[in-house]
Amino acid sequence: MSKLNGRLRGINLGELMLTLPSLGWLMVFFILPSLIIFAIAFRTADAYGGIGDSWTLETILRLVNPNYPGIIWRTIWLSVSNTVICLAVSIPVAYYLARMDRRWRQWAMLLVVVPFWTNFLVRVFAWKTLLHTDGTLRHFLVWTGILGADQPLLYNSGSILLVLVYTYLPFAILPLYAAAEKFDFNLLEAARDLGASSPHAFFSVFMPGISRGIVTASIMVLVPSLGSYVIPEMLGGVDSDMLGNKIAQYVYTERNLPRASALAAVLILTVLIPLLGMMYINNRRQTRDRKEITDTLSHHTGIRA
Amino acid sequence: MTHFLEFAGIKHYFGAVKAVDGVSLTVKQGEVFSLLGPSGCGKTTLLRICAGFQHPQEGRVILNGVDITELPPEKRKVNTVFQNYALFPHLDVFENIAFGLRIAKRSAVDVRQEVERMLDLTDMTEHARKRVVELSGGQKQRVAIARALVNRPQVLLLDEPLAALDLKLRQRMLVQLDSLHDEVGITFLYVTHDQGEAMSISDTIAVMNRGKVEQTGSPAEIYEAPRSSFVAAFIGDTNFFDGVVKEIDGDYSLVAIEGLGAVRVFNDKQLKVGGAVHLSLRPEKIHLTVAEPPAESSRNISRGEVEEIIYLGSATKYWVRVGDYRLAVNRVHRRFGLDEKPIRWKDLVWLSWHSDDGYMLERYSEADEELLSLPDTETETEPLAVDGDSHE
Amino acid sequence: MKRSLFPGLTLVFCLVFFYLPLAVVVVGSFNDSRFGGDWRGFTLKYYNQLLRDREIRGALENTLVIAFWSTLTCMVLGTMAAFALHRHRSRLQFFHLSLIYSPLVAPEILMGISLLLFFGAVGADLGMTTIYLGHVTFCLSYVAMTVLGRLQDFDFSLIDAARDLGASSWTATRKILLPVIAPGIIAGGLLAFTLSLDDFVVTFFLSGAGSKTLPIYIYSSIKRGSTTKLNALSAILLVVTFLVVIISHFTAGRLDRSEKTKEAKASG
Repeated sequence: MSKLNGRLRGINLGELMLTLPSLGWLMVFFILPSLIIFAIAFRTADAYGGIGDSWTLETILRLVNPNYPGIIWRTIWLSVSNTVICLAVSIPVAYYLARMDRRWRQWAMLLVVVPFWTNFLVRVFAWKTLLHTDGTLRHFLVWTGILGADQPLLYNSGSILLVLVYTYLPFAILPLYAAAEKFDFNLLEAARDLGASSPHAFFSVFMPGISRGIVTASIMVLVPSLGSYVIPEMLGGVDSDMLGNKIAQYVYTERNLPRASALAAVLILTVLIPLLGMMYINNRRQTRDRKEITDTLSHHTGIRA
Repeated sequence: MTHFLEFAGIKHYFGAVKAVDGVSLTVKQGEVFSLLGPSGCGKTTLLRICAGFQHPQEGRVILNGVDITELPPEKRKVNTVFQNYALFPHLDVFENIAFGLRIAKRSAVDVRQEVERMLDLTDMTEHARKRVVELSGGQKQRVAIARALVNRPQVLLLDEPLAALDLKLRQRMLVQLDSLHDEVGITFLYVTHDQGEAMSISDTIAVMNRGKVEQTGSPAEIYEAPRSSFVAAFIGDTNFFDGVVKEIDGDYSLVAIEGLGAVRVFNDKQLKVGGAVHLSLRPEKIHLTVAEPPAESSRNISRGEVEEIIYLGSATKYWVRVGDYRLAVNRVHRRFGLDEKPIRWKDLVWLSWHSDDGYMLERYSEADEELLSLPDTETETEPLAVDGDSHE
Repeated sequence: MKRSLFPGLTLVFCLVFFYLPLAVVVVGSFNDSRFGGDWRGFTLKYYNQLLRDREIRGALENTLVIAFWSTLTCMVLGTMAAFALHRHRSRLQFFHLSLIYSPLVAPEILMGISLLLFFGAVGADLGMTTIYLGHVTFCLSYVAMTVLGRLQDFDFSLIDAARDLGASSWTATRKILLPVIAPGIIAGGLLAFTLSLDDFVVTFFLSGAGSKTLPIYIYSSIKRGSTTKLNALSAILLVVTFLVVIISHFTAGRLDRSEKTKEAKASG
């Protein structure tokens, strides 16, 4: 009886009650605001930094301004380089962690996770100190002759990339470790047994074996780094703006919200490309995808590390 | 060649654990050689040493006259069928089999021909393009064998290849493996803990225990003439007796066994009067009758009380109390079992066995008695109401 | 079989890379000079100044209040979401799952600016409340996914076993399911709490008068270049983080022990 009444157009009432709070929250505070970005990109700006009453195409058209393609390009290449470096470092690390003795592995994982838990601005500040003109590192590098006396370590694309790698490395290590931990290392022996050298076995058996982890890690590094804001602002120079801090500049310095929205819309579209790519890849092996993320998160929190 | 594959004085310890503790073995070309023993006896470690996954702390591995001890696994002309098959999940059946050939940079035509030959041999042709996850256990096993054999190894190493399969499939695969061996004629080094498997497929068996080889021989030798109590108890079931030689009568001796009496046994160890004897007597060698058997000088006869009965279908197993001993006896049903007058709990029966059937052991350890299947003597459990009839 | 040294060296390199800047900050917090160029003697004066700083105390209070309430909200909403996702396989849940996923990867700045525009459009005043709403939005998914992971590993035949032994559906849930997934809820909550404490970007876009949080304080100090107290503040935050991670690791380890012994057995 109650079951019959509880059904509403095929959807269980209990299900609806469980789903509605989170679904509703995200619809109101996530989806709706994202749509507003696209709407405001077509509005005029008023003189007080607010949003005008009329519609315009001008803001969108101004995106062709020679400044923007450069910023978009820099954003993309810094993010892609960051992703590639993070993967290149994390894959051997994940391999090593997964093969480590259980007792030591716990401690090693703890050491990898701690920087992830450390306050982000503290980390940025630490690098700023380390790379500072009067900092020990620069003195040391100048002294060894690696660095010229007038070459700065800070305020260029190099310093941005360095700190991007620093920030996102744990995001790559964790999903890769989650995948490597489930990898059957007998397969490497099987490959060796069939005549593969150790590096060959690594590339032809281990890498395909953790491919899901590689996809997850790429997304977890690439997408947030496309939206980097604090790092380029704190460590970049005048010529190393990325999309993120340009958006912030329009909000706070130039007080032009429609223009900020237009750039944010560009960022959304840029971010959607890798996300759709991942969905395409995962479509072929859909069911495992969510396990991947939950496993990664369980390593984040140190449970079952 | 008689010494095709040779292990010479192999030692391998994991910390304090003596996984392989001084093993020397020779394997003939073309034979199926089994390493048989309980888990942890060192058989898998020995196999991994042969494959090159483990480097022995002492000793040499010699294959076809060449010392391969120092070679990495990819340089050895041996291939392995792994216990869990270790098939590459990202490759299909065809590509799994082709893996070794592709690494050896064989031409595309060669690869196709060789793989197709193996697919045909293992009866997997129609599954060539299936993904590994879509295969059944038996099919995976066949792919694992094909993937190893396609490289034409000098020795095929099989690490518990049937352990993951259920009983019926295991029996069928065993027959297939045997005929496959006849077809390819490659030397097999076969690791198993299952004595039935080892018995049916091997030309030679090495029984291992605690890192050492207890005995090497043909299946019949191992079963009929076990050298140690471990071999006797691990392979099949048996009864153990301790006694002292009292009299010698040509090839036979009269052995006094405390708590049982004197028995006459074949004295193949040429023991003198007064020498200590450990005997092994297989349950199926003991003849159990209700009527008293005619006295014969070549047979030992005793009388006992049935204490436990287990019906096995093809046979019935009895435990019969004789003096201080409780003897396991197997009786095969030669006639329609329900027609026979059943032997029941607490019945008095006659046991007789031929003097040649008790076998003298070289080494005896009381710990090996644990391997025997004995009914629980400590606690006489209350029978459950439903099947209490055997206790009437 | 010999193993390559390369992966191990990469790990060592990584750890040095991770901890070198942090070590510089901690050492700098005791150094009697402004930037860590030279060692000018040991001092605790920055810690002294820090303790007396009213602004920092206020910022810390704001941060904790926001983190507390957003974590609590997330634990409730996230756990419900996880149950919905795990129990039902409808089209609604497919949409629900995609929605839960999105904030996990969405760049923070997009969340920041879109919420800023949204609150502007509905005419809400920026402040503690808007920050709280923003934090719940991006922390919710983490709790949901962590709990979901726990649910996926849960053996539901245990519930059947409990029912078989006479427990009601509710008792079985309370006595069997809840204790098993509790570490998941706690872990998710801990993650949400840290993310909220840590967040700068979303907070920055949504903060108004009187809602300065610790990350915003740190940000404006770096911007202003008045970093004398920052080393000391960072060092304290670092030590707290270490302690929290280690404690949570071992409590989680204890809650999880049954599972670990199971794993150890399987691998041994």
